[in-house]
Amino acid sequence: MLCQNCGKKEATTHIKQIFGGEMSENHLCRDCASHLGYGDMLPGFGLNISQLLSGFAGDFDLPAPARETLRCPKCGASFGEIVSTGNVGCSECYHTFYERLLPIIEQTHGKSRHTPSHSSPVKEKEKTKEEKIAALRLEMSSAVSREDFETAAALRDQIKTLEGGETQ
Amino acid sequence: MTKWYNTVGEAGDIVLSTGIRLVRNIEDFVFPCRLDSEGRQKVSQLVRDIVFDAFPDEFCYIETDTLTYMQRLSMAERNIISPEFAGRDDKNGLILSSDENTGIMLCEQDHIRLQTIMPGLCPEQAYEYAGKIDKAIAEKVKYAYSDSIGYLTQSPSDLGTAMRCSVMLHLPALSDMGRLPRLARSIRSLGFSIRPVYGVHSRTPGDFYSVSNRITLGIDEKTAVNNLKSITSHIAAQEHNAASLLIEDEAWQDRIFRAYGILSTARLLSYEEFMQLISIVRFGSATGVIDVPLEKTNMLIIGGQPATLSVIKGVDDTSTSRNAARAKMVREVIRER
Ligand SMILES: [Zn+2]
Ligand SMILES: [Zn+2]
Repeated sequence: MLCQNCGKKEATTHIKQIFGGEMSENHLCRDCASHLGYGDMLPGFGLNISQLLSGFAGDFDLPAPARETLRCPKCGASFGEIVSTGNVGCSECYHTFYERLLPIIEQTHGKSRHTPSHSSPVKEKEKTKEEKIAALRLEMSSAVSREDFETAAALRDQIKTLEGGETQ
Repeated sequence: MTKWYNTVGEAGDIVLSTGIRLVRNIEDFVFPCRLDSEGRQKVSQLVRDIVFDAFPDEFCYIETDTLTYMQRLSMAERNIISPEFAGRDDKNGLILSSDENTGIMLCEQDHIRLQTIMPGLCPEQAYEYAGKIDKAIAEKVKYAYSDSIGYLTQSPSDLGTAMRCSVMLHLPALSDMGRLPRLARSIRSLGFSIRPVYGVHSRTPGDFYSVSNRITLGIDEKTAVNNLKSITSHIAAQEHNAASLLIEDEAWQDRIFRAYGILSTARLLSYEEFMQLISIVRFGSATGVIDVPLEKTNMLIIGGQPATLSVIKGVDDTSTSRNAARAKMVREVIRER
C-alpha cells in the first residue's frame, strides 16, 4: 500500500483516527508519518510496529533451528509471532527474547535502560569495555537514523576514547 | 467536578487540556493479545473491584457492548477512550469517573490503560491524580515490571515509564504565520511530538494540536512532565507573540467578526466549516478582540464533534441532520448572555 500523503513510498504506519464522525484509518510512509508528527508510533493511535520488528528480525535473529523451537515458557509465543503481530505476549517474553528485542527497544526509544522515578536506584552491573563499546555503537546508529548527528558525534568520540584506552 | 471542556484552566487561552496516560499489566496474566475471554473477565473484575474499593462512589463500570457505536465514537471524540477501543464491538470493560475526565480501559492493548484529562496546563496535577489511582492498584496486584526496562507492555514502544503526557493546544497565529513546521522540528528534537488533534493528514480544520512525549524509556516521569510544561510554556509565549502581531491587522479583526457573524446566524454548519470558524472565534476570544467566553468555545468544539452531537442532541447520524443541529446549538450557546 502506498502512502496517502505523498503517494510515492510504501505505507508503514497505520493510524486509526476519528474524523467527521467516522473511524478512518490512515496509511503513511515513515517519512510522512514523522513529518506529520506520527513518527513516534504512539500507541493508542493504532500504529503498527511489526514493520519495524520485521526489519530487525533478519539482522538479529538466532539461527533457524533455535528460532523454530524457542518459545516463551509462560505464554507460548515465538519470536516470529511477536514480530508478525507487533505484540509481545507476556512479561516473560521480554526475558526469553531479551537480546532480540533490545535492538527494537533501542530503535524506538533511542535508549535501552529505564530511569526509575522513585528513590530505589537501579544498580547497574559493571559492563566490560566491549559491552560498553557495543552499547555505544548501537546508540550511535540509532542517533544517526534519527538524524541526531550531534549526539552521534559525541558517542563516536566516546567510542574512540574507549578504544584508544585499549591500545595504550 | 465539571467536565474538562466546560472550564478554562491555567494558560487556558492556548492550552485546552492536559492529559496523562499510564499503561500497566498484571504479572499473573499474559498480555491481552494472548489472554482468553475468561482471563480478560478476571483482569477486568479484579481492577474494577480494587478501584471501587479505593475510591468509593467516584467511578462507574461500563461494559462497552452496552453502548452504541455512536456513543463509543463520541467517547473517543471527547478523549475518554482511544479510537481503537471505540472501534471494537466485543465486550470490554471501562471504568469511568463520574465527571468523565478519568477512564481506565481494561484489556485493550494492555491490561490497564488509565487516562486522565484536566483543563488548562497542569501536567503535575494530572500526573499526581493518575499516580494516586495507579498506586492504589499497585498495592493490590503485582505489576509486570523489570528494573532494566521498566513497566512491561504489550508494545515495546510503551516500555519504561509507560507514561504519555500530552497537552491540547490552540495555535491559530503560529499556524497562520507558517511557523509550525520549524516549531515541530525543535519539539521533536526535545523528545516530544506535535500533531493535529482533529483531521487526517492534509485536512486538519481548526488549528488544534497535541504535544506529547515521544519516548518513555530512559526518562523518568517527573522529567517528562516538567519538560512538557516548559515546552508548552515556550510554545504559548511564541503563540502570544504571533497573536499580538496578527490582531493589529484589520483584516484579521474582520475575519474574527465575520466568523462570529456566521456562527451566530447560520442554519446549517458542516463539520469542517464549523471547525474553521470556531477556531477563528476562539482566537478572537483568547486575544480579547471579541466578547465570547473561552468556556463557550471549548464546550462548542467538543459538543460540535459529529458523534457527540448525535449523542447529546439525539439526532440521526446523517450530515444534514447534524449540520442543522450543530448550527442550532452554536447559535444558542454563542448568543446567550
Ligand atoms: Zn509518504
Ligand atoms: Zn510470553
